[in-house]
Amino acid sequence: MNLEKIETKKSLAITKQKRVPKQRKSQLVVPYLWLLPSLILIVVVIIFPIYELFSISFSKISLSGLKKGFIGWGNFSNVLNDPTFPLVLKNTLVWTVGVVGISTLLSLGIASLLNQEFPGRRLVRSALIIPWAVSLIITSVIWKYILDYNYGVFNLILMKLHIIDENIYWLADPSISFPVMIGVGIFVTIPFTSFVILSGLQAIPADLYESASVDGANRWSKFVHITLPLLRQPLTISTVLNTIYVFNSFPIIWSMTKGDPVNQTDTIITYLYKLAFMSQKMGEAAAVSVISFLLLLVFSILYVTIALRREQ
Amino acid sequence: MQKTGKFQKIINPVLAYLLFVVLIFPYVIMILTSLKSKEEVYSIPPTILPQQWVFTNFLDIWEKVPLSDYLLNTLIVAGGATVLTLICAIPAAYAMARMKFAGKKFYMYLIMITQMFSPIVLLVGLFREIQWFGLMDSVWGLVLTNAAFNQAFAVWILSGYFSTIPYELEQAAWLDGCTKAQALRKIILPLALPGIITTVIFVFIAAWNEFAVALTFISTEEMKPLTVGIYAFFGMYDVQWQYVFATSLVAIVPVVILFLLIEKYLISGLTAGGVKD
Repeated sequence: MNLEKIETKKSLAITKQKRVPKQRKSQLVVPYLWLLPSLILIVVVIIFPIYELFSISFSKISLSGLKKGFIGWGNFSNVLNDPTFPLVLKNTLVWTVGVVGISTLLSLGIASLLNQEFPGRRLVRSALIIPWAVSLIITSVIWKYILDYNYGVFNLILMKLHIIDENIYWLADPSISFPVMIGVGIFVTIPFTSFVILSGLQAIPADLYESASVDGANRWSKFVHITLPLLRQPLTISTVLNTIYVFNSFPIIWSMTKGDPVNQTDTIITYLYKLAFMSQKMGEAAAVSVISFLLLLVFSILYVTIALRREQ
Repeated sequence: MQKTGKFQKIINPVLAYLLFVVLIFPYVIMILTSLKSKEEVYSIPPTILPQQWVFTNFLDIWEKVPLSDYLLNTLIVAGGATVLTLICAIPAAYAMARMKFAGKKFYMYLIMITQMFSPIVLLVGLFREIQWFGLMDSVWGLVLTNAAFNQAFAVWILSGYFSTIPYELEQAAWLDGCTKAQALRKIILPLALPGIITTVIFVFIAAWNEFAVALTFISTEEMKPLTVGIYAFFGMYDVQWQYVFATSLVAIVPVVILFLLIEKYLISGLTAGGVKD
């Protein structure tokens, strides 16, 4: 990075002279000049805080937020010894795999549905945009009200349809509230996923299916042998991006249960937020952030390796 | 498009309309609730349609909370972040699409890494930095954060668009005496307009909808954006749902319209990053 800065200064000096004779040398630095604004923004707002996180995670932090020297793995061992931490990790895994996996399966169906002509197709497509466009926090708050024990219409509708005999506390017991929040996660993840898959479906030439029909292939074998392999790229893209988004997701759990009762429905993201800004344990929060950082890194490396292996 | 059987012809639309109902259900409830009276949102059993349509809720919200401030703050954050994102991303995307240089791969990986994180994972580090800059409780801290976290997306989509524009057009402009920057402004940018519009709208919406950073950095009521502002109606003992949802509607309508406008371009933009290289 320093090298680049030096080069940039040089290039500024060079461009001030008439640049006919030194054109070639200045050409070498020009690309970095074009990258500079973007680099500065990223380094200041993203890379530097990553460095800060690592530094805080190994420091003793006073209540007022001052660094009070190196304490080694202290923050990490505090986090790892917290009896709720394994549960938080398990929740994060269930949350991420559950939301991404089920959304992808449902979206495969929805995308192939929307890939067919029927009256009102445009309207349904437009409706599919809404949960994607609306702020996650607003959609979650609406669901919180809909699922309210006394005042929510969800219990009302299920009672009227005789699906349940008495109202259910959807957001109290973690064994109900966590799956319910996964459901909301799926609701907001489906639009993006479906649109990506739909664009993949539309790129598949129709004559592939026709010639398969001539060969006597049924719907299922057409799906397995033509559709799925050709959807590999959109599916990879949606799965990777969704995994990152869903892992990092905050508003749904924050607004619906706040991770309660006692961390039972926390994922690593809400857990770290509460450590940092409610318990004021910045050191430990930084340690959790570093752990999340490493988990995401491992995931990305896994993904790149798998993607590269498939490529060959 | 696949040919469909008779059974499929009937069942498919039915499934699609069912999907439609599920998709709009929460938002219909939101609108209906925003038109109910204070008493009715807490009636047992709950009602679906308002017994009495209280349109004045939409007037009340402007007086109960500093809604015009929320709206203005959201506009500044979304608009500011969009402008800053473009200022930084356009030259970078151009360099990525058109220039050869050492470290190109490095910049690409750097961008990819930034895409892995949400601001929340970095919030502890970011919080201290924003404090040092004196940008706590200011919309400019949010502008900066949103611009940075949308940088990766913007560079991907723009460089994707730039590289589809024939190189010859640019060379012709250089021959006519344009500098690189002039050629970018006069040739590339107009031709890449769909890409730029997509980027603008997408970044604008992302910043408009952002919640976690705003929740953490902003504490003064008058400085809050809409997403955090709706929490003003969450009291100690009860929630004024009719106002929460009336305010939410103000926050939702502009972005849903914007999103519908770019529906066509959205996917090619979003997947461009993954398709390239």
